[in-house]
Amino acid sequence: MNAGTQLKKLFIAQLKTMFREKAVWFWNLFFPVILMVLFMVIFGGGGDGGDFKAKVALVKPTSSTASDSLEAGLRKIPVFEWKSEQAVDSDQADSWVKGKDVDAAIVLPENGNGGDIRLIVNAENESNATTQAIRGILDRYVQEASFAAAGIEPAYRLQTSSVSSGSKDISSAEFLLTGMISLSIAQAGLFGMVDMVEIRRSGLLKRLRMTPMRMGLYGLGGMMVRFVLSFVQIVLLTVIGVFGFGANLNLNLPVLIIAFFIGVLAFNALGYLISSFSKSLESYMGVANITSFLMMFISGVFFATSTLPDWLKPVTRVLPLTYFVEGMRDGMVYGSGLFNAAFWSGIGILTLWGAAAFSLGALIYRKAKVEVR
Amino acid sequence: MTILEVKNLRKYFGDVKAVQDISFTVEAGEVFTIIGPNGAGKTTTLEMIEGLQPPDIGSITIAGLSWGKDESEIKTRIGVQPQSSALFDLLTAEENLDLFASFYPKRKSTAEVLEMINLTEHRNKRVKSLSGGQRQRLAIGLAMINDPQVIFLDEPTTGLDPQARRNIWDIILQLKQLGATIILTTHYMEEAEKLSDRVCIVDQGTVISLDTPAALIGKLTREREVRLSFFDGEDAAARTEQALRDRQEIVRMERDSANLTLWSPEPEQALYGLLGFTKEHGYRVEHVSIREMSLEDVFIAFTGKEWRD
Repeated sequence: MNAGTQLKKLFIAQLKTMFREKAVWFWNLFFPVILMVLFMVIFGGGGDGGDFKAKVALVKPTSSTASDSLEAGLRKIPVFEWKSEQAVDSDQADSWVKGKDVDAAIVLPENGNGGDIRLIVNAENESNATTQAIRGILDRYVQEASFAAAGIEPAYRLQTSSVSSGSKDISSAEFLLTGMISLSIAQAGLFGMVDMVEIRRSGLLKRLRMTPMRMGLYGLGGMMVRFVLSFVQIVLLTVIGVFGFGANLNLNLPVLIIAFFIGVLAFNALGYLISSFSKSLESYMGVANITSFLMMFISGVFFATSTLPDWLKPVTRVLPLTYFVEGMRDGMVYGSGLFNAAFWSGIGILTLWGAAAFSLGALIYRKAKVEVR
Repeated sequence: MTILEVKNLRKYFGDVKAVQDISFTVEAGEVFTIIGPNGAGKTTTLEMIEGLQPPDIGSITIAGLSWGKDESEIKTRIGVQPQSSALFDLLTAEENLDLFASFYPKRKSTAEVLEMINLTEHRNKRVKSLSGGQRQRLAIGLAMINDPQVIFLDEPTTGLDPQARRNIWDIILQLKQLGATIILTTHYMEEAEKLSDRVCIVDQGTVISLDTPAALIGKLTREREVRLSFFDGEDAAARTEQALRDRQEIVRMERDSANLTLWSPEPEQALYGLLGFTKEHGYRVEHVSIREMSLEDVFIAFTGKEWRD
């Protein structure tokens, strides 16, 4: 039979084998989806990032024009959620703060015209993010109120905007979506080659070598199946990310296809390398787990590598997953084109990883074949 | 016509002399069985013939072809069922056969093979849910899918229950009728005796004896074992033993209470004398037998080892 027919048969056989295995469905499709949904819910992947609210109470010891206008101004600040519509006395506010019914109580000046505006917080929460935020907002407000009272127009104002290398800002939804896609594809490659250990253990590899079929065709058919799986992963996760969590994509197909193709090959090569020296399923899974676990948290999958401690950063610059995640983000959200030096150097490093892993794996296999008994 | 010729094979693994010197030839249409104790070098010999590992020295010719020059041609002409039935567990029986068939230029029809291995009914079952015997039959089916000239069956019935074993015997006999050459290894003497045209006994990496099962048994000492037990108890047995002691045709005797066992190169003569004595004294004999010699005795005699060690 010709090579084309054989390849087709081998592809279909391996495709059936893969998708009839329940574990493949669970670990490669169901699990990444669950993980992504969880992370998006936890990190507020809604996309607008404006969900911060602080619950506060207001204490107004005396009523005057000045304090009424201060109160009116404070009540307009959108992130403050008021415990009561009316100002309360300081005992009531104290008990709310102690009982953590509110994050803070704001006490207007005693004399109604000027003086200190006090912020009361629970000592346990003194340095947490909510307190810091309330303090910052209140500080800014008090400053503006003072300027207004004195009739001064401030010379400088802060305008905040964010900058990304692409045309749009990327939110946590896009960041997590692309991170999870890359992680799932990398995992599928790292863990998927366990089949090689299994067919060697069961004797199927030996059996296949007794036929005139060329083992290269078997390997090629297997790679095609892995591409199908990774394609399903990318489509599934993207659909959930876009329609479920409002992720905005800015696709550049050539960049995406190159990153996808090289990434799938590189991580399958790593899996192949692990399979070459693993005598049993257990040892394969052990090595694959350690490898994937080490990379997962420091390659910019869930959080940007810039947030990592300085001593760890050189490590992330070596790992293949870092470059795969970056390449996939280039193709899916940054929309940076093909003429991008950082992208190509990342792809280069990924290719090197793949080529080195594959060559070493092939060498170990050849040596083992000579020693086969 | 000689289909397989094995000459002076040797294979060492470091200090382990797995195969020292093995030679034999197999004629087309023969069922040729290799037996030997564990570690005798059977599997290594078979794997060298199947092309899985090269011999240190020696030559192998299959249908006039050799592994060095004609590897892919030989692979199309042989079919192998290895000891571990290695199959695609998540494919069905039919899918396994179809896939393997695609590797070969010449093939039998899947339906025909399924019928022969009696799996037509289960053709759509995944291998995972087949029984041990069914899996083994499928492995044999894969070995015959390319309509090979030589079929290698490495312990095809090990671990199967008697019924499943008989099913496999039927398949082997059917293959033999169709003119296939079969190289078989087995742990079961009964199997070797029933199926083989010739048996090759291998021990410590060399061929100890090679002949038809009947001729091998014939080569054993001609002494036969005669057993009888007495209805009238130990006393009668002891007296008979005493009286027959000097008979020339009896080489040796053993008695265990009322049971008497004797060895004689002329068992008929010995029995004649023995029954004459018991009749004369009115002893009633409960049971008489002359034990058949089996391949197992041959094996033990040649290798000095119990069959299953």
